[in-house]
Amino acid sequence: MTFTAPVLNYAQLAPMLIVLGGALIGVLIEAFGPRASRHASQLFITVASLVAAFAALVRVRNQSSVDAAMGSVGFDGAGVLLQGTILIIALLSVFLIADQENFTALAAAVPGSSEERESLQLDLRVTEVYPLTLFAVAGMLLFPVSTDLITLFVALEMLSLPLYLMAGLSRRRRLMSQESALKYFLLGAFSSAFLLFGVAYLYGYSNSVTFAGIQASITGGSGNDVFLLLGIAFISVGLLFKVGAVPFHAWSPDVYQGAPTAITGFMAAATKVAAFGAILRIFYVAFANAEWQWKPALVLIAIVTMVFGSVVAITQRDVKRMLAYSSIAHAGFLLAGVIALSKSGLDASIFYLFAYGIATVGAFGVVTLVRDSAGEVTDLNRWSGLGKRSPLVASVFAFFLLAFAGIPLTSGFIGKFSIFSAAYETGSTAILIAGVLSSAIAAFFYIRVIVLMFFKDPVEDGTSVVIPSALTTTTIAVTSLITLILGIFPAPLINFIESSAFFIR
Amino acid sequence: MLTIQTPEAVMFWFLAPLAVISAIGMLLVKKAVHSALLLAWVMITLAIFYIAQDALFLGIVQIVVYTGAVMMLFLFILMLVGVDASDSLTETIRGLRPIAITAALGFGGLLVSLIGRATLGREAAGLVDANSEGNVQALAKLLFSTYVWPFEVVSALLITAALGAMVLAHHQRSVPRATQREQAIARFRGASLGSAAGLPNPGVFARHNAVDVPALLPDGSAAPNSISATLKARGDMLESTQFELSEVDNTVTEEK
Amino acid sequence: MNALTSMMLLPLLGSLLVAVIPSDQTLRIKQAALGTTLLVAISGVMAWFKFDSANTSFQFVQIAQWIPSFGINYAVGVDGLALVLILMSVLLAPVVVLAGWNESEGGRWSAKVFYILILVLETMMIGVFAATDVFLFYVFFEAMLIPVYFLIGGYGSGERAAAAVKFLLYSLFGGLLMLASIIGLYVISGTHGGHTFDIGQLSELHKFMSPTTQNLLFLGFFIAFAIKAPVWPLHTWLPDAAAAATPGTSVLLLGVLDKVGTFGMIRFCLTLFPDASKTFTPVILVFAVISILYGAFLAIGARDIKRLIAYTSISHFGFITMGIFAMTTQGHSGATLYMFNHGFSTAALFLVAGWMISRRGSSTIADFGGLQRVTPVMAWSFFIAGMSSLALPGLSSFVSEFLVLVGTYTRYPVAAVIATFGIVLAALYILIPVQKALHGPTTPGNENLPDLNLREKIAIAPVIAVIVALGFYPAPLLNVINPASAHVLEVQGFTDPVPSESAGK
Repeated sequence: MTFTAPVLNYAQLAPMLIVLGGALIGVLIEAFGPRASRHASQLFITVASLVAAFAALVRVRNQSSVDAAMGSVGFDGAGVLLQGTILIIALLSVFLIADQENFTALAAAVPGSSEERESLQLDLRVTEVYPLTLFAVAGMLLFPVSTDLITLFVALEMLSLPLYLMAGLSRRRRLMSQESALKYFLLGAFSSAFLLFGVAYLYGYSNSVTFAGIQASITGGSGNDVFLLLGIAFISVGLLFKVGAVPFHAWSPDVYQGAPTAITGFMAAATKVAAFGAILRIFYVAFANAEWQWKPALVLIAIVTMVFGSVVAITQRDVKRMLAYSSIAHAGFLLAGVIALSKSGLDASIFYLFAYGIATVGAFGVVTLVRDSAGEVTDLNRWSGLGKRSPLVASVFAFFLLAFAGIPLTSGFIGKFSIFSAAYETGSTAILIAGVLSSAIAAFFYIRVIVLMFFKDPVEDGTSVVIPSALTTTTIAVTSLITLILGIFPAPLINFIESSAFFIR
Repeated sequence: MLTIQTPEAVMFWFLAPLAVISAIGMLLVKKAVHSALLLAWVMITLAIFYIAQDALFLGIVQIVVYTGAVMMLFLFILMLVGVDASDSLTETIRGLRPIAITAALGFGGLLVSLIGRATLGREAAGLVDANSEGNVQALAKLLFSTYVWPFEVVSALLITAALGAMVLAHHQRSVPRATQREQAIARFRGASLGSAAGLPNPGVFARHNAVDVPALLPDGSAAPNSISATLKARGDMLESTQFELSEVDNTVTEEK
Repeated sequence: MNALTSMMLLPLLGSLLVAVIPSDQTLRIKQAALGTTLLVAISGVMAWFKFDSANTSFQFVQIAQWIPSFGINYAVGVDGLALVLILMSVLLAPVVVLAGWNESEGGRWSAKVFYILILVLETMMIGVFAATDVFLFYVFFEAMLIPVYFLIGGYGSGERAAAAVKFLLYSLFGGLLMLASIIGLYVISGTHGGHTFDIGQLSELHKFMSPTTQNLLFLGFFIAFAIKAPVWPLHTWLPDAAAAATPGTSVLLLGVLDKVGTFGMIRFCLTLFPDASKTFTPVILVFAVISILYGAFLAIGARDIKRLIAYTSISHFGFITMGIFAMTTQGHSGATLYMFNHGFSTAALFLVAGWMISRRGSSTIADFGGLQRVTPVMAWSFFIAGMSSLALPGLSSFVSEFLVLVGTYTRYPVAAVIATFGIVLAALYILIPVQKALHGPTTPGNENLPDLNLREKIAIAPVIAVIVALGFYPAPLLNVINPASAHVLEVQGFTDPVPSESAGK
């Protein structure tokens, strides 16, 4: 038997390899590094590897090939854009994660035990979150560039596993945090099983697990349509779970609330980019010619997701839960870009992902600042009068909310406009109408928070805005600046996306 | 053309229902150990299927790794930690269970009816072709050439899992463990010399010498600290009062 | 630099100037704001003189690419219609600043924020009238809600937060419907010669639309404008907002912002969808007539002086809407002139009412009595403003109301005749409060009210001067308005009915 050695294009895989390398160094630091300097060295390694990965990505930005890794990875413009977005979001999130107030001192300690108290007094730190974050980032980088279903599955697990873990590391309300982690893990495992089931059907349909092979089978039309339908359905379930589309959204409010806020921000922003990247690739490349099989169902899911997310968000009393439902609604808007199935839909989706991801990290960054003596305050009632206490922080948060609502002069508006026009262009009038109506509903609860912050009197219960650390300040400043700039001068980014976003087949 | 031979069909229709019943049983039985055993059975059945379909390597791996290693590890942990009570299954939102069961049955029915209508529609390649150079060799070829990248990534995934297990389970000592010398000093310097000679064993002087019956102290009262902490945590300690010797004269006159 | 662009930049620079002045130097801040608005007013008047009224195309045109991939331009330019409204806006701004010299002090935030909001709002007011790119218009249309929202909610009185939210939600809802229509236009333009938002090119587009499409797109625009202008039954936000806002804000809200609605009807509804406009004219006229009468009846029943003025405005907007949809040159000219005049008469009413309220400490009409004797100047100012509001011959509103009625009569005599009852009701709703509050014996609590001081006199003088001057000699305005109105109708193929004895079948 002959064996030809595999050829890997290391330049194109470099971003992922660098991030993985950073994660491994982080693991070694955990094992051998002196405790006192662990936090600093981990932070340095994490930031350095993210920056280096971004530089490596910039170096190969104009390349594209189907053979980056023996046909498992398709390296192309859209992939570069999505990977770049993920790296930027990850870097900004790491700055929030570095503010370790968020995390438990000792994950193994029973909540409320004396061991927990002692570990808090000793000021122990779960510095493992840094390598875990890097592992998750590596999975996210791989997810949108996977071009076969096996790699897709591995990437999905790779990005999910660290997130399941980190969701349970909250410093306060630990039982709730652990419960949310368990819920995320169980439902995530369930959805992974669905995805795997779908992979099996698609293999049965097309005798191939590569996107190109599936696409060829669909155009050839030789396979059994029931297998195709089941395959698409199950794969969609697995992927839609990750983005929190209704009816696969049940985990997201609990996990958003239970996880440490910095992790919530990272998860909300970066996972969405990665998962939508994968959804876009698989629907645009593999399933494009079976449009009639999935479009009606996806249109329905998109509409239900938008409306449900917006309506339920109105009743929320917790800021993190509210943002969770808002992210569900945004998942619905983003599905409009998938449904468009056109170049403008792809461009719009990538722009929207970038804009939304940045604003989300910023918004959760602000949430980490509002605290009382026991820690973060997420009860919306206690946010009232925040505008009086610290006008700047409240204004920044209001600005992010306006961006989520899609008010002009924010990035959210440009995103909404481009994604809805792309959807309408390909004939999805229902999406346009549902999108506009649910935007109107969504505006209601965003504005309610603004009213609460600015027009209600403060409650005297010790809620205050802490002075942010330099890193948190950087994140919030950068994200709000990007959100503003993309609202006023989006042309450079739009042009860049337009000229480079395409999927290699 | 891959034809399904009669023996294979017989085996399938015999084992498949068993596998499904065991899988459902896994969810329904009360004790974790039973559940684990049923899972092991499901895995063995799957292994048999794999082997029957010429996927010899996969079948063996399934037995050695999953049934042999993973499941046994799982059972060990169950026994060592002693988590054997069933979780409380109270419904926080009433009426969810019938809805869930109805939905599950409906979904299952839909799937069965769909798959029942499906035919492959083309020749299955069969494993004979794939195995022409040997099953293990063919697998190795795929793993180390076509799927080398996901294969490498899986290694990172395993590191993540290990790291995660460490985060969740590793206890950081906040004070250094006391040495034997320190423990001895502490025992003798303590307020009473009661435990200077070590703790009593369970069952000593009691009417039963089982591990879950507390020892009796010289004054006839039960000594709960003679029972293993694990048993106590599990609530398996028997009520010590029923073993107290009430007829013993408790008045001890101290002699100088 | 382009006259319009510089007019928009000036207030923005002014707001920056205000921003750098320390908050405790309130007087400096006010002076800076007044100076800026005066400068803008002067440049507005200069533009007025440079404007060539014989030329019906857009003037002071400036076009720069903004988001080229969507065909979005920064495009400004004015015709007679827009110029008149811009002139009105920039003239009212310094009056509002001067008249409401102390308005900023009772608010939630400092005076600095108040003037920054006012100046930013002024930029947007100019921009919304000057934009010749539909997207740019929409951006201003939506973005100007935010400063108004904070002006009402932060500096108003009574149920200010609730009123601000109601205002914002109504407007956002309308805005989102309009966004859907804009996306529709954008997509249709893409299939007929490339994506564009240029109003000139879009006005050709109706030839390619099916009647259903045109009707739907028309409705999206019209409902947004009908909410803005308030036309019955979408008016309910206005009384609350006007009653809660400070008098100065109310002047800008009713005088300028609501005009965006009626302006939009001419500029967008009629120009872009002439056929749909014709289709909907009967329905709209019914709504307009109902607005005229309903607003008047509410005004008669009003006990709060600010609400009274708001209700009169609903009635007046009914007239304007009727004039627009009469589709005659007289009706259009009248409507445009009405917009201008209504701006000034409402400004006068609100400002004087504001002074009365702040002196008396109550906004209930019944609390006032016999002001004529105590504060003659204030009473006379209110009287003249009231007379202008009921369109007394010799004052400015008369000319416009007359033109609207005549213009409507030639085509829709029934509507015109019913609307005439509005004039009778107007006499009631103005004269009753005038009689109660100004004339008759001085009631307890009003004996010691101080009359207008010098600042207030300076503020109200130009407004009253405009009201009186235009009443006698409206020609300068009409010379600019008439060609523009005729042009709008002519371009879209509306012709005036031939005047004859049997006109109006």
